[in-house]
Amino acid sequence: MTKKLFAVCAVAGLILSLAGSTLAHDEKSDTKPGEKVERSLSVDPQAVVTLCVASGTLNVRGWDKSEIRVRSLDATQIDFRRIDKSKDTSKPAARIDVTVLNKSTGANPKMDCQAIADVDMEVPTGATVQVQTRDGDIAITGVAGAYAGSQNGDITIERATKLVEAGSVGGSILLKDSTGRVNLSSAGGGVEVINVRAANEEDTFEVGTVSGDIQLDRVSNPKVTAKTVNGTVTMSGPLAKSGWYGFTNVTGDIVLEMPHDASFQLNAKVSDKQDIVSEFPLKYLATAAPPPPPAPVVIKPKAETKGKTPEAKVKPKTAPGTPAPTPQPAPKAGPIIEPIRVEKHGMPGPYMLRRVTAVCGSGDATISIASFGGTVHLKKI
Amino acid sequence: MTRCLDEAKLQSYFDGELSLKMMESVTLHLASCVTCAAAARELEEESALVMSALAAEFETSVPTERLRERIDAAVFGERLTVAQSAQKATGLAAFFSGLLNFGSQRSLGFASLAVVMAFAAIFAVVKLRSTPNTPQKDETVAVVNSPSDKNPTVAKVDRNDSLPSTGETVAPPKSTGSGERPAYRPIKNTANAAPKPAPVKLFPGERSYLQTIARLDSTINSSKKGMRPALQVEYERNLAVVDRAIAATRSAAKSNPNDPDAADFMFAAYQSKVDLLNTIADARVGGGGRGH
Repeated sequence: MTKKLFAVCAVAGLILSLAGSTLAHDEKSDTKPGEKVERSLSVDPQAVVTLCVASGTLNVRGWDKSEIRVRSLDATQIDFRRIDKSKDTSKPAARIDVTVLNKSTGANPKMDCQAIADVDMEVPTGATVQVQTRDGDIAITGVAGAYAGSQNGDITIERATKLVEAGSVGGSILLKDSTGRVNLSSAGGGVEVINVRAANEEDTFEVGTVSGDIQLDRVSNPKVTAKTVNGTVTMSGPLAKSGWYGFTNVTGDIVLEMPHDASFQLNAKVSDKQDIVSEFPLKYLATAAPPPPPAPVVIKPKAETKGKTPEAKVKPKTAPGTPAPTPQPAPKAGPIIEPIRVEKHGMPGPYMLRRVTAVCGSGDATISIASFGGTVHLKKI
Repeated sequence: MTRCLDEAKLQSYFDGELSLKMMESVTLHLASCVTCAAAARELEEESALVMSALAAEFETSVPTERLRERIDAAVFGERLTVAQSAQKATGLAAFFSGLLNFGSQRSLGFASLAVVMAFAAIFAVVKLRSTPNTPQKDETVAVVNSPSDKNPTVAKVDRNDSLPSTGETVAPPKSTGSGERPAYRPIKNTANAAPKPAPVKLFPGERSYLQTIARLDSTINSSKKGMRPALQVEYERNLAVVDRAIAATRSAAKSNPNDPDAADFMFAAYQSKVDLLNTIADARVGGGGRGH
């Protein structure tokens, strides 16, 4: 009996000692052949964690622990590389590089970003993650900062609190319920943003695509910039007071859906052949003469033409249920026109730009639109 | 216009011999094609080199009159030689024999050889001038000034008449329907000629974009074979989108040279291309590498 008790105590002691040893090194590993590889490490609550694979889906989730945990079914090995500038190992790691190895990489840790593996990772909610995959999707939830890059995969980021930077070549990007500075770019994929606001006054919001559409819903950063070459830009939701919204595209429409009491100043540069259709009462501000006709002279770089506006041929359109306003020959300062439609030219001719400067309400926010060949819609929600 | 321009078309472009539509098309293509833009620059430099080499010739008061006289003299001389060669063969032989009569058989041999070569050269010249209208014919196009008129005219040596049709104003060689023309580089009188079609004029600041794009493009192309098909497809699809945007905005900026906003659209399109190339270069280099 005593022998059995001694044996049990010995085994228990051995287990405890092994566990204590592992904890002393701030690491745990449950690696078993053919099973999920899992590894964890105590880190600083605001640690920066990087993870990169060649192919595979990356799921990152913030949790209320000062620890990171990485799991993968496809990996043969997961390593943590501490890349702090500080060499004080007594403190929790502030910068950690997660290296995932599998059959495609062998056991060579230098084969960074070459693994083909789906990876799940938990990080502290205050952490900033930098994740990258070539082919897979990326999903990040509940972290402070998120940098995400994928060539062809889709990127989804939710509940980021400080900053988001995401880029994809062919995949789409979805950002939801986040705060802070935002920078999103995709070449061919679309970008959708829902419910994003600034954490402080300097938090800008920038999004750009080449051929993908941009959809912004309830974005209230003080400065919002959306650029696309061939996509449609759609923004809906209230405007930030004193906010600045800049939309630029070459082709494709720009659609702004705002509350009926929206107050903004509109500075629009659009093709003479395209429309600006507004459901808001716009009061034109004083305008200057249009730019002089083309002349064979040397172009002066960045010549100032502020305030210049072509003589826009504005055709007032009767809004449903409202009396027809008096036709306005040109957008001069004064009367309110609702809504407006910029007439198209019937005959093809040289490209001409039309500038419209108008105000709705007290003009709290500024909307700056530059559309080379698209139609601008200002709609009421 | 997606295919690269050949040298003939580029030369025609610089010479202003393309149709207006084709000129515009080539201009747009040059704005978006780094390879062709580089070729155009090279061609432009070559032309400048040739023009500088012939500057002295052009800078004389009546530069092409002397040239024409020389051509006339040469052609008359050749015709005369051909016409009299048969009759004066003996006399010439005697003349050469007398000239080269050193009393040596070897000297006579050399003299005979020289006579044969001279006849061969004359025959070749006459033969070439009577060849039917071929692309090579255009190589005889020369720019001359009419003696009675200081205005420069382009004289074309007709295949049926070895003499230049003096005083006749002949339009530059018409390009074919497709805008193609044989590869040759006629020399033109730039001193007095009609306004030379403007070469590719870049907007202020455009060159730096083109240089940046060229660098990025070469970086990407250097290992394009290693680019994964999916990435390459996406890259080329979006590149085409951006190039179309550049072409359209550039055309607009060109037609509105005094409107900086029109140029801004063009620069925005260029910036989009730079951004795209940067993205692709990063993706290609990193292949998923840690870019942040």
